[in-house]
Amino acid sequence: MSARISGVSGKVGFNDLKQLPGFWTRKLGKDLYEVFIGPQHPGSGHMRIIIRVDGDVIVEADPDMGYVHRTMEKLGEGREWIKGIPLYERMAIHDACNVTLPYVEAVEKLLGIEPPLRAKYLRVLLCEINRIAAFLYGFGIFGVFVGHSTMYMWPFGDREVWVELADWLTGARLTHSYPIFGGVRRDAPEGFTDSLRKAIRYMRKRLEEYRKIYVDNPVIRARLEDVGVIPRNLAIELGITGPNLRASGVEYDVRYNAPYEVYDELDFEIPVFQEGDSLARVWQRVEEIKQSLHILEQVADWLDKHKGEQIMHDRFWKTAPPLYKKVFQETGRVKLVPAFAILKVPKGKAYARAETARGEISYYVESNGANKPYRVRIVSASARNAIVFKYILPGHRVMDLPTIYGSIDYFPPEGDR
Amino acid sequence: MNWIELIIKIIIWPPLWQLIVLGLIVPLVVVIGILWFERKTAARVQRRFGPLHVSPQLGGALQLIADLMRYAFQEVIIPKTVDKGVFLLAPLTALVLSIVPLVAVPFTSVARWWPIPMDYSVLISLALSTVSAIFIVLASWASNNKFSIIGGMRESYMITAYEIAIIISILSTAAMTLSYNFVDVVNAQEGWKWFAVLNPLAFLAAFIGVLMATSGFPFEIPESENEVVAGPYTEYSGLLYGVNMGAAYIKRFVYSVLITLAFFGGWLPYHPGTGFLAGYLYPSIIVVIKATILMAIFSFLRAVYGRYRLDQALDFAWKILFPLALFGLGLGILEAYLGLI
Repeated sequence: MSARISGVSGKVGFNDLKQLPGFWTRKLGKDLYEVFIGPQHPGSGHMRIIIRVDGDVIVEADPDMGYVHRTMEKLGEGREWIKGIPLYERMAIHDACNVTLPYVEAVEKLLGIEPPLRAKYLRVLLCEINRIAAFLYGFGIFGVFVGHSTMYMWPFGDREVWVELADWLTGARLTHSYPIFGGVRRDAPEGFTDSLRKAIRYMRKRLEEYRKIYVDNPVIRARLEDVGVIPRNLAIELGITGPNLRASGVEYDVRYNAPYEVYDELDFEIPVFQEGDSLARVWQRVEEIKQSLHILEQVADWLDKHKGEQIMHDRFWKTAPPLYKKVFQETGRVKLVPAFAILKVPKGKAYARAETARGEISYYVESNGANKPYRVRIVSASARNAIVFKYILPGHRVMDLPTIYGSIDYFPPEGDR
Repeated sequence: MNWIELIIKIIIWPPLWQLIVLGLIVPLVVVIGILWFERKTAARVQRRFGPLHVSPQLGGALQLIADLMRYAFQEVIIPKTVDKGVFLLAPLTALVLSIVPLVAVPFTSVARWWPIPMDYSVLISLALSTVSAIFIVLASWASNNKFSIIGGMRESYMITAYEIAIIISILSTAAMTLSYNFVDVVNAQEGWKWFAVLNPLAFLAAFIGVLMATSGFPFEIPESENEVVAGPYTEYSGLLYGVNMGAAYIKRFVYSVLITLAFFGGWLPYHPGTGFLAGYLYPSIIVVIKATILMAIFSFLRAVYGRYRLDQALDFAWKILFPLALFGLGLGILEAYLGLI
């Protein structure tokens, strides 16, 4: 459509304007009713879903993304390499470590460096903490959508445990900017692993209570079972990722299929459900939280055994002034060395991907040897999942829309980038 | 002091007493108390504090009064696209009509304190209780808003589903006593023979029907926020929105009174005596307390349940609730035939 507009020469008349998306007019069928749900609607988040209903049944659905588009990719081209990290984590602030990790990895590939082992474990630690927090966030929103106020309050309260842990580890509740090129910003503080183990025990207990009041609740089951079914072949065809894909019976997880950091050294399972309906997607997330807790236990054990190891690659660490090293010895904090500010990445292309809470995110990074990236292309999980609304909403009732929307766990800022 | 006597006489004149005091002021006080209690218990379940900062000494009990004041002083926005007359009149009419059934309900067995003759009170009060819902649908149509119309459509589906169940199950008490007179129905429950115990099927059908009628959980469908914003009330703001909400709670209170009389023995075990206090005030208070307990039970399901889908709720209403009400009617007739009443 844009090609035609740019082809218009001279003065733009009304007939040309009609070609613009905002001016599109479509003929509705007889007895059809068009409802715009969103982008400022209590039940849709920052996204518009245009639905056409026949009575109470949706016959056509049109997910209209882009309301919170922030030109992440273009902005990234205008700032230094290190500043990309705090920028890209704005896509999904409660999943910050997972979202920025592939960017860091891609740049490390270009630099030809490998972070120390302890830094890798610390990255995995924060990744899994973020993953649990993001799942709990999704549960809370889903609870509102089905009208279950307790399921809104509980996960948001329990998420606080993980946010506080992340705060203690990194110094920020949400936008951690924790992994940096060649390592991480801070070491785990004294006593962190003990609190982590306590949090893991607490979360296991709470998951059981979630099951009792929510997942096995007869009203909730009636709402979720056989609603919004994504068949296995459709899920593969549309390129859906993450828990939604695994709930449809496809065993695909980047942590397992293309291990990054230290995931190949850890013992965990990929839970898979065959049903592909909304209830399966809820169960999928519950099971994934259990696996994350299992991973965290192993990471905590490893961190206890390897205290005081280096968390920063030598290339940057050897440029640090003696004062920085003294601070690290005393407090375990790494101040960003000046080398990052003038960092020039060698010419080349790199690609990296990771499994976020909502699915696979991939970064294609291209450098022309300057101190700023030439191009950073991001394909986020939500952007890939959004298309599913078009295919599974038709045939359902209007009241199923929030249920399906919540079960997909679509996050507009991440999708719009 | 003649004029004080006159004022008291006017206040305790049965129609005024039952419409204004029992129909408007008492529900308001009851709702304030119950909503506070409900919010506090839900907060306890959900591990938060609930209302707190308005009157911390009372545990936030005045929060609802603060909310009401906010509604009262907010600007009432009337969009240009609405049908203005109907838009303004519909909520007010709905409010008035939701109180009106109380005029056909006895709060005592003494004939001097009846607003109208009570010979057909069961029929009249039930018939009057069904009128107000039409004006909610009307309000949604007058709003000229897609979400309102979808909400109104849901409301109209729900009306047809719950009304029959409520009417049949309350009429089953008339069949049990062979009388359309609420006073007879109450007097037949003398000696703790409450119809809720004798005919639990009809009571259960009426209870669930009222839950649906007043958009209680898990049937909070017409106003479900995530799909249709505020349902029929989407375009309403300020005082008019408050009137809409008030009408819904008064409706719940009126149904609670009807169920109290039909199934929980009304003013029994108290026997109304002579004079205003013994003959009218005390029995009224007993009925109100019973209705309040019922209303509290209606509200407590909030923390535990989600929402049903519209078609599931209708399914439930027609396939389970309606037969349940019919079985209740049959049970009532059987009990009356066997002389158990």
